[in-house]
Amino acid sequence: MEKDLVEYIVKSLVDFPDDVAVNVVEGEKSTILELKVATEDIGKVIGKQGRIAKAIRTILSASATKGGKRAVLEILD
Amino acid sequence: MPSATEKYMTREFEGRSEQEAISKAVEELQIEREDFDIEILPPKRKGFFKKNVRIKIYYNDGNEENLEENEAPINSDFENQVIEFVTTLIKKMGYEAKVSVNFRKERKLGLNIESDNSSILIGRKGKNLDSIQLLTNVFVGRLDQDQKVIIDSENYRLRHEERIIRMAYKTAEQVKYSGRSRLLEPMNPFERRLVHTALNDFQGIETKSEGDSLYKQIRIIPIK
Repeated sequence: MEKDLVEYIVKSLVDFPDDVAVNVVEGEKSTILELKVATEDIGKVIGKQGRIAKAIRTILSASATKGGKRAVLEILD
Repeated sequence: MPSATEKYMTREFEGRSEQEAISKAVEELQIEREDFDIEILPPKRKGFFKKNVRIKIYYNDGNEENLEENEAPINSDFENQVIEFVTTLIKKMGYEAKVSVNFRKERKLGLNIESDNSSILIGRKGKNLDSIQLLTNVFVGRLDQDQKVIIDSENYRLRHEERIIRMAYKTAEQVKYSGRSRLLEPMNPFERRLVHTALNDFQGIETKSEGDSLYKQIRIIPIK
């Protein structure tokens, strides 16, 4: 599942994996994944020029989705 | 900064930004960003208002290539951790894959992904493969290992390089005979280096990079 995927990736990249939380909001056509990490880790999840956030989103859109719903990743701060 | 200075060559570069200076170094020396260290130098008072960023880079010259060709010793703990990461990542994406070591070089580990879904895992223009590789390298950076991981599937990397070089030659021919310059699609520093190198000895044209971002475009220009 997408939530599991995002959690796995993000927990492998941050300093405070215990503070990683993904909240799933089911929309009609898309699933929104709200990602929360420790303040110190926000930069690690976004990366220089957003490279890491972009890579996570790319992988998310390449993952096999159930029911053909689009998954959208939002990083909360 | 590296202390064994006799092992390293140094060169200075300037640019409007640090990034630009780095790109210049990458292109001029035909080395990868990972292969050198940078020191930011104090700005030289030159023009009236433009303060260029100056950097000094430390890199290994020539010999490194020979070093790189040698197989590096097996570092199985590290390899297992990386393979585990990539395998789990792909599994959580919803695909089955077998990940194995492709090559071992000095400071570089090559992995190969075998999967029935390899075309999805590679993605359009390799963007999925590149994303998996990027995240894996961030993960590896946290393991405190001075290693870079190259991830491949279905020999995509080599095929992609060949495709870029073929395209460069083809466009260079057109430029030479039409006498009109052509702009290539945006490419990353590694891809641009392939083009510059391939067309270095090509008579009647020259190559130049345009643009400011990491993904610059190369223009092939006819010379009279």
